[in-house]
Amino acid sequence: MLEVNESTPVAARRSQSRLISLCINGEWREVAVKPRLTLAEVIRDSIGLTGTKASCESGTCGACTILLDGRPVLACLTLAIECDGRQIQTVEGLAEGGKLSAVQEAFLDQGAVQCGFCTPGMLMSVTALLRENPKPGREQINKALEGNLCRCTGYNAIVDAVLQASGQGVKPVME
Amino acid sequence: MILFDFDYERAATLRDAAALLARLGDDARALAGGTDLLPNMRSELVRPGVLVGLSGIEPGPPGLEADGALRIDAVMRLASLAQSALVREKLPLLAESVHAVGSRQIREMGTLGGNLCQETRCLYLNQKHDYQFAAPCFKRGGDCCYPFPRNDRQTCWSVHMSDVAPALMALDAEIEILGPGGTRRIGAADLYTGSGLKPLSIRGAELVSAVIVPAQQRTGWGFHKSTVRGGLEFGMAVIAVSLQLAQDRTTCAAVRVAVSAVRERPLRLASVERMLTGAPLDGQRLAQAATEAGKEINPLPHHGFSRRHLLDNIRVYLRRTLEQAVERARSGCA
Amino acid sequence: MSELSYVGKSFRRKDGPDKVTGKAVYAQDVKLPNTLIGRILRSPHPHARIVRIDTTRARALPGVKAVITVEDTKGIKHGFVETPRYPPDQEVLARGKVVHVGEEIAAVAAVDQLTAQRALELIEIEYEPLPAVFDPEEAMQPGAPEIHRSHAKYAGPHSNVGGNTETAWGDVEKGFAESDYVREDRFECQLRTHGYLEPHATLAHWENDKLNVWTSSMGSFVKRAKLAKTLDLPYSSVRVHKTYVGGTFGGKIDLYSHEYCAARLSMITGRPVQVVASREEIFSAYRHAQPLILEIKTGVKKDGTLVAQRIRAINNAGAYRGSGVVVIFLAWGFTMIPYRIPNLKYEGLSVYTNHTVRAPQRGHGAPKVRFAIESQLDMIAEALGIDPITIRLRNARGAGEQLPNGDNTHRGGLQDCIRLAAERSGFLDKFGRDRKSPPGGTIRRGIGIGVSAYMGGTLIYPNGSGVIVKMNDDGSAVVLTGAIDIGQGSETVISQIVAEELSIRMDDIKIISSDTDTTPQDIGAWISGMTYVTGNAARQAATHAREKLLEVASEKMGVAADQLVLKDKVVSHRLDPERRLTYREVIAHSVATRRGDTIIGEGYWRTMRDEPNHPSLATTKGRWTENYAFSTQVAEVEVDIETGEARLVKALTVHDCGFPINPALVKGQVDGQISMALGHAFMEEVITKDGYTLNPNWLDYRMPTIHNMAVSEDADVITEQYRVGQPYRTKEVGEGLVSGILAAMGNAVYDATGVRLHGTPFTAERILDGLKRLQYQAKTARKAKSGTLGA
Repeated sequence: MLEVNESTPVAARRSQSRLISLCINGEWREVAVKPRLTLAEVIRDSIGLTGTKASCESGTCGACTILLDGRPVLACLTLAIECDGRQIQTVEGLAEGGKLSAVQEAFLDQGAVQCGFCTPGMLMSVTALLRENPKPGREQINKALEGNLCRCTGYNAIVDAVLQASGQGVKPVME
Repeated sequence: MILFDFDYERAATLRDAAALLARLGDDARALAGGTDLLPNMRSELVRPGVLVGLSGIEPGPPGLEADGALRIDAVMRLASLAQSALVREKLPLLAESVHAVGSRQIREMGTLGGNLCQETRCLYLNQKHDYQFAAPCFKRGGDCCYPFPRNDRQTCWSVHMSDVAPALMALDAEIEILGPGGTRRIGAADLYTGSGLKPLSIRGAELVSAVIVPAQQRTGWGFHKSTVRGGLEFGMAVIAVSLQLAQDRTTCAAVRVAVSAVRERPLRLASVERMLTGAPLDGQRLAQAATEAGKEINPLPHHGFSRRHLLDNIRVYLRRTLEQAVERARSGCA
Repeated sequence: MSELSYVGKSFRRKDGPDKVTGKAVYAQDVKLPNTLIGRILRSPHPHARIVRIDTTRARALPGVKAVITVEDTKGIKHGFVETPRYPPDQEVLARGKVVHVGEEIAAVAAVDQLTAQRALELIEIEYEPLPAVFDPEEAMQPGAPEIHRSHAKYAGPHSNVGGNTETAWGDVEKGFAESDYVREDRFECQLRTHGYLEPHATLAHWENDKLNVWTSSMGSFVKRAKLAKTLDLPYSSVRVHKTYVGGTFGGKIDLYSHEYCAARLSMITGRPVQVVASREEIFSAYRHAQPLILEIKTGVKKDGTLVAQRIRAINNAGAYRGSGVVVIFLAWGFTMIPYRIPNLKYEGLSVYTNHTVRAPQRGHGAPKVRFAIESQLDMIAEALGIDPITIRLRNARGAGEQLPNGDNTHRGGLQDCIRLAAERSGFLDKFGRDRKSPPGGTIRRGIGIGVSAYMGGTLIYPNGSGVIVKMNDDGSAVVLTGAIDIGQGSETVISQIVAEELSIRMDDIKIISSDTDTTPQDIGAWISGMTYVTGNAARQAATHAREKLLEVASEKMGVAADQLVLKDKVVSHRLDPERRLTYREVIAHSVATRRGDTIIGEGYWRTMRDEPNHPSLATTKGRWTENYAFSTQVAEVEVDIETGEARLVKALTVHDCGFPINPALVKGQVDGQISMALGHAFMEEVITKDGYTLNPNWLDYRMPTIHNMAVSEDADVITEQYRVGQPYRTKEVGEGLVSGILAAMGNAVYDATGVRLHGTPFTAERILDGLKRLQYQAKTARKAKSGTLGA
């Protein structure tokens, strides 16, 4: 028999803001959030990092993909209040000391960026993929990126960028 | 962006969550991965006053019980489940079905329990209603049905789209439910009512806590999710097959066939199973069974697909999935 | 021929680093303090009279700073087309009645999202629903609900005609009579949409009598003009700032109500106002592409030579004129460019329906027209026993051909495109293979070809582009251009041209773009003219600067200008490189001796220098463009004949874009269009019912994912060249390559299955239905033969 006692968390007044700590791209930030705010809104508005994009807000396009404790997730379907104490990496955190990552360079070398709106989410998904699978085949690349829509490039250049970044024999097509 | 206020409580354990839900009543909902609940909150299909967050609850890894059954915590993320070596080895059908869900990101966020407990879907339902279909339909507590205007208020033909449910049904899985009174177990199929209005049989303060899949005797399996694009989408039909051949490697000793994304609940095709059990599984028999399946399912047209096309699709892919299962059963490897 | 250092090379994008680091600022990313949230109240009815609207309760809600309806505007109309024949027809907010679901009726500005939402809910509106009509052929019937009166100059019997186009040459009836073979077909295409990843977003800030606007668009100067007009402000009081743009494809040209509303709300409140459209709003209330019905009757000689063609196009225009009157003109254009047609009669009707208004979408009618014409041509070829390559070569225009409208194909390379496409793809070896000897299993492969042509730049406001090249005194340069980079790479291309003309490095060039205060006017990114028009303006500006550099250097060095060469920011004697000056020295000398002339180069360009206007939309009379881009595309598809599921396996695009300034950017355009076309072909459809959009999201409007990409090869038939100091002619490559491949896919599906579809999309259901019909016909034929068909 379950008993509700003093140790059970009690729901307080509706919609209490909480102070949460987020480690964003290696920096701890403290921010007050209402429960209804998504991580995308908090990253973009409260923290002010607008690299993460808002496009469909219902999890169907991948433009808002960030890494949460290293895993690629949709910031638009994550409540910020659930991210207290967690590590978040956004597109702004990919370059280290101003030096672009191999993935970022590969995207530029392969013409995998046109309008650039899908690019941040795409880069995060690719970065996650290559961390766990340094030499993915086409099937694996497709599976890892199926949640990231792109309307400009037709995806071929993006696949080539992944192959270049993972050292699988694709040479830059842009100088 | 969710345009109404609600509160949030984080549960440290599943028991705490169940207790909280019991205490808070109908105004509270459990939040697992959020990939089903949050879009529905955004479109205001549901407007809970409080969310009980489960993301602080760490799932244990899938574990083998004494009788060889595999126990999986409901809060396990689908991506972890798909990557589990144990699950891939013992239950490849389940692994395959999990791998078919949504996208990588959705699988990283969504949980096993959440996938099973997702709301049913309908084009008219799953959108914001600021200026389209503003008058609520039956499922939204209103007075009409947009796609099927002649339906009465007891009938909602929204469709349950879970990719994982049919696999679990084909594996004779049980669902463990945790409530204020403790835990209970039901067969996977019994999680579903068959009503689009209230698709799940579990009560408000109950949570799916685990899935228990018995040790499998059947070595043949097949899985197919029909989509237009090959990924990212919900299915037009989702088919799971598990079967065992007799010594002669042709006669069906035992079979389970389950289908989802066809009706208000995932279905075990008992009639098809009867037709196949004890029969030689040649091409003709499988084709017959696949045609029979259409009648047994009686699919609902959904998401822009006509009934006729769904029947055509099921007929071909159920046959192919059965063939795949037979092939696997014959080769002896799972 | 001199070696080019920059033009013709695949340089990395200038804006690439910003885009991969998240630094690129799009309209939704611009932040100003004290910004209010703007939201639009939209019509729930496809057609209704507004009986009463009361915003009192909304205004009274704490946190609401302004609410506007059409009464709070100047009542100035706007339209995609604004000509004497087609004056602006749309108010920024509905007046008196609403004519489509989602039409804008009111707007609110509030301190936060929740308050804005609540304010919308507090606006009280009483509607009187009116009969509505959704099918254009029904809307045309006398007695159909009248959305708007038919155009005054339209003399025909139909209702709801927003505009019409008619033109003819020769005598089609005589032509048909003289033809050896005539056939008539009807084609219909689905409603599809742009699917740009970046939602519409606008931030407007009225401050110190100046309106500052950041908005996602295809042309800042068009937006300025229309905002200024509807707000009744001088252009100098409206500044449209540069933003990065996240994809457009034709869907962000018009003035949108939300842009006006953001501006007006800011003018009232004195605070910045931001409006961002939700994805559902974009799918259900914004502009989609134009679904065309095409009825085509064609007569040919028995060798396949075209003799006569009669075409009728009906556009489902939606509830305002929109770009419908343009697409019915273009449908004629895209018909008559690729092949010689001695006798033609064309009629196009743009018909109002109670749907959302239409906008151009990549190809602006060409995909639908070429799909229809190329499908029919293959049917004709089969009936005559001619292969698809031969029939096309027989009819394809060559270089230097005069077109019926007075234009010329110049160095058009269509014949070469067809030949190269056939050769590269091994077309004739593969064509008909699976139909002749079906392989085992259920997969059939088919190959199809499609020819198309497009234009590179025509005359639409603002008609011309200017570019300024400002030398910095160290020899580097800042280039001011009104061009807007929507992803196509305009900033990179312009940099390459300037680098080439001035012989400075790409890194020495900084582009300031797309700001109506600080950059010169530009034609915008929506008539496929950037590379030709703005590019030549940039070339001219750089040339101007170069000439000044040479003049000053010549003076200082005491050498004739034609004896000097420029390379890498150094001017030196052609024969004696030791006699040299750096640009820095030259510019310093210019400042010292020429009254401070810091060396600024000015350039401007327009297409059709000798024509004042765009041809008549109604009669097609008048010269249209000086750049025709031709293409031939080949599609290889696979179809599962048990399920009807089809997919594109391989695409080959042979095009004559002129010459590629940046080959990798050209390839990017090709790939993007293949992807868009395959979406159009197999999976995309905006599903509407009674004016409502049933699938306003990306789960149910299926755009291609990475799973659906095909191998995409391209080959350039290079017909033009680039020479430093000379005007160049490129054509276009960003829009015209959706059409040929779409047609090719239709033809390939036929080749694989024998199923001929007269409409897109080629869904599994339609293909399967076609296969079932063929099986039934075959069975019936067999029964008839064996005499078992019952009486």
